[in-house]
Amino acid sequence: MFLTMFLLGALYVVFFVVLVQYFQLGFVPMILLLGGLAFLQYYTSDKIALAASGAKVVTPEQAPELHAMVDRLCAMSDLPKPRVALIPTDVPNAFATGRSPKHSAVAVTEGLWRRLEPREVEGVLAHELSHIANRDVAVMTIASFFAMLAAFLMRMGLWTGMMGGGRSRDSGGAPAFLIVLVVSLVTYVLSYILILMISRYREYAADRGAAVITGAPEYLMSALQKIASDMTRIPQRDLRQLEGMNAFFIIPTNVKRTVGELFMTHPPLEKRLARLAEISAEMGRPIAA
Amino acid sequence: MGLGDVLFGRKKLKGAKLDRLFALSTAQITLQTELDLRPAGVAGVVFKPLSAGEFMRAEQQIDELLGVVAQTSGSEVRRRQDSLGYQWLIVRDRDFEDLVTGVHLVANELGAHGFGEQLLAAIFTFERRGEERPVYLIYGFKRGAFWPFVPTGKEQERDNAEELRLRNELQGELPFEPDLERWLGLFDAPLD
Repeated sequence: MFLTMFLLGALYVVFFVVLVQYFQLGFVPMILLLGGLAFLQYYTSDKIALAASGAKVVTPEQAPELHAMVDRLCAMSDLPKPRVALIPTDVPNAFATGRSPKHSAVAVTEGLWRRLEPREVEGVLAHELSHIANRDVAVMTIASFFAMLAAFLMRMGLWTGMMGGGRSRDSGGAPAFLIVLVVSLVTYVLSYILILMISRYREYAADRGAAVITGAPEYLMSALQKIASDMTRIPQRDLRQLEGMNAFFIIPTNVKRTVGELFMTHPPLEKRLARLAEISAEMGRPIAA
Repeated sequence: MGLGDVLFGRKKLKGAKLDRLFALSTAQITLQTELDLRPAGVAGVVFKPLSAGEFMRAEQQIDELLGVVAQTSGSEVRRRQDSLGYQWLIVRDRDFEDLVTGVHLVANELGAHGFGEQLLAAIFTFERRGEERPVYLIYGFKRGAFWPFVPTGKEQERDNAEELRLRNELQGELPFEPDLERWLGLFDAPLD
């Protein structure tokens, strides 16, 4: 996920540099193009996320209990009801998406529904609904737009500076184009780290929101622990039922998970649990270990 | 798989890794004394069903193979098919070391007869005193690693806590599959 998003962004930067360099596009058209892309991303975020995860929107008839739970939580938090979707995978997880509460969707995996107690599912759903209430998709889109803009402005400034400086092109050193590219990418990396910091902050905020909506942070705590535990990674399927058997064996053996906290979209589990415990204490509730 | 194979999309099916199977013979003492798991004297080798064209050839080859195994080892070997259409060779032997050797021989012979790529897994049954439900150890031929499998008996439910405990106890003695997402079960194996 981290790598995908990062590479996507890096691709944007390279794309724009090339565009400006070779097609001599002006400053204003570039900003418009950038803004247009960001807007498109923002406007279609719910459809893209649902399609990318393979989630299927379910009706109240298809998943009555899940819908009833979302109904209750929306009434508690005064939100319009989002679309409800199920993702057909074993790994317990959930996400919310959509540019505004009116155009939102919340999706849970079948594994989450099966492996967690109803009150734990409720905690997870409340966390996702808090993301919707806090308009996190909009916040993150705007944040990444400014990151792009920063990289772009940096490039623009450097370029004019070099050209305007009247220095001769034959004075040696790396070509201006390369320097510009490197500086843009560095700017982008730094912005990216900042965006991830915002993202982690929004996760804490959504945890707090979930605690307030349900009034019972301990269920979200146990849900987070279950989701992170080894147990939930053991599949419930049969070896022989596996579709695309050959594809299964191609997946690389050991992808090392050593990316530091700096590059994570979510805060580490221990810190989230510690904060939830604080909230729980504030609410005057004992925590079930 | 080399870089050239990646670039040109020439993914080959992995052949079977058999050698690590023997680690199970050595782990037997720990299994019995510390975990109270006694071998039930039966194990199964499961391999993928074949296309119709290969089927006739396969029939002959497997009969021939059963003959070879019967001659060279004292284990009893029978052939079964499960409800999912997979082929099984069930090996029986009172002596655990002979059982492991028997399974190795069966897998080896399957490889020699051209079924090496179709080999999926071997499954060993263990029993615990005073408990009805069996505990299984599965050996994946593609990866050359073991993983535990403890079905609860209710549909496709497994006792994950017990499975992780077994791994922790046996980690030093058996090569375990590190990726938990590959600990796939083999429900209703025709081992009886």
